[in-house]
Amino acid sequence: MAIEVRIPTILRNLTNDEKVVKGSGDTLSDLVTDLDQQYPGIAERLVDGGKLRRFINVYLNDEDVRFVGGLEAKLSDGDNVTVLPAVAGGSR
Amino acid sequence: MRYDSLLDSLGGTPLVGLPRLSPSPEVRLWAKLEDRNPTGSIKDRAAFFMIEQAEKDGLLSPGCTILEPTSGNTGISLAMVAKLRGYRMVCVMPENTSHERKTLLAMWGAEVHYSDAAGGSNEAVRVARRMAEENPDWVMLYQYGNQANARAHYETTGPELLADLPEITHFVAGLGTTGTLMGVGRYLREHKPDVRIVAAEPRYGELVYGLRNLDEGFVPELYDESVLTTRFSVPSDAALRRTRDLLHKEGIFAGISTGGALHAALGMARKAEQAGRAPTSRSSSRTPGGSTSPPAPTRAPSRRRRSAWRASSGPDRGPGRRGPGGVRGGRVRCPSRDRRSVTEAGFPRGTGLRYVPPQVGSCPELGNGEPVISGQSV
Repeated sequence: MAIEVRIPTILRNLTNDEKVVKGSGDTLSDLVTDLDQQYPGIAERLVDGGKLRRFINVYLNDEDVRFVGGLEAKLSDGDNVTVLPAVAGGSR
Repeated sequence: MRYDSLLDSLGGTPLVGLPRLSPSPEVRLWAKLEDRNPTGSIKDRAAFFMIEQAEKDGLLSPGCTILEPTSGNTGISLAMVAKLRGYRMVCVMPENTSHERKTLLAMWGAEVHYSDAAGGSNEAVRVARRMAEENPDWVMLYQYGNQANARAHYETTGPELLADLPEITHFVAGLGTTGTLMGVGRYLREHKPDVRIVAAEPRYGELVYGLRNLDEGFVPELYDESVLTTRFSVPSDAALRRTRDLLHKEGIFAGISTGGALHAALGMARKAEQAGRAPTSRSSSRTPGGSTSPPAPTRAPSRRRRSAWRASSGPDRGPGRRGPGGVRGGRVRCPSRDRRSVTEAGFPRGTGLRYVPPQVGSCPELGNGEPVISGQSV
């Protein structure tokens, strides 16, 4: 199952400067685990204490994952995941 | 329609249907034309409420100086109110703000200080805070954390929407200071618990995110995630495409942020249809007939409230500002401020936070519902 993940500039030092990477997983949590195996260190930048970091926004097909299950959000083949730093209105 | 002063004409903006963009007879979209406010943007509401609250709190008296970090619209709105109420207005904005906005602020009498463009709105906020410390007699209203910002929408925009569209099911608006979404969202939830409050967040250019430190993101103090049902990130190209759709199909010349809100509204509609929750009854118009919605609340938005305020400072205006049914008359007018946004080239040029999607409201899904759209700049 291929999930396309868009990486923000600030994290591209972990993805060999790749803007878009591929990952897999049934849930967002699984996807992060998979990404961390490919790009060590990325999980720590996204997750803290089992939750998404406060100023990290992750969108599943453009919808904020915090409203669709958070790290347990279900993924499907062909989904797009976008990681962005909070600019405004991020999660407290 | 007659008003005793420009401020008295604030709010009461028209809600217009978008029949050609609405995805189906069951899913109808409506747009609230906030360009009908005195300076042409929704920010007039927040500006008026924040200044009025500061006056009530004893922070402002004629001759005082107001300071605000802004990317444009709020500054213009504050400058207008400040001019009419006898205050000096000082704005701090990123130096790459469009020439047009700088000129507008100057014409309204505001004094503009510039912050480093690379730092975006966050840097403007930092500079403004430093200036406030250096000038303790100045009053920084701070739209990102001023509850009067959200209250403006709780007391005016929300009641106006519900009065015009009692069958509303969704409210979609841009996410910037979050004042519109928090204020309207809370009001609608109190009166229609099932309503969906949807945020459309503009996805800024690489420059903005490239500079953003993940540990220092910006979250406005007003933001309360629990008010929202969900939140969409709208890519620039999608917002631009919807902005053009709005012009070509509905004749409404709006800004890019409105396009972003429209994109999110249409996304919600598709999602509802895919989930098989399409409504079984057609939502017709703003007329509440046949709806299972509760009766329309008494229209008690901004003008009535302002009349109460005016009672202490001048003669009341008396009735008759609205036609039968509470719907304002008049032609649909091009949202001039938004039009400028569109011509400002591409999309979030510069440092983000300049465009916060416009508001459109109501999107079907549960039956007799209608989404509404809206958008704004900070």
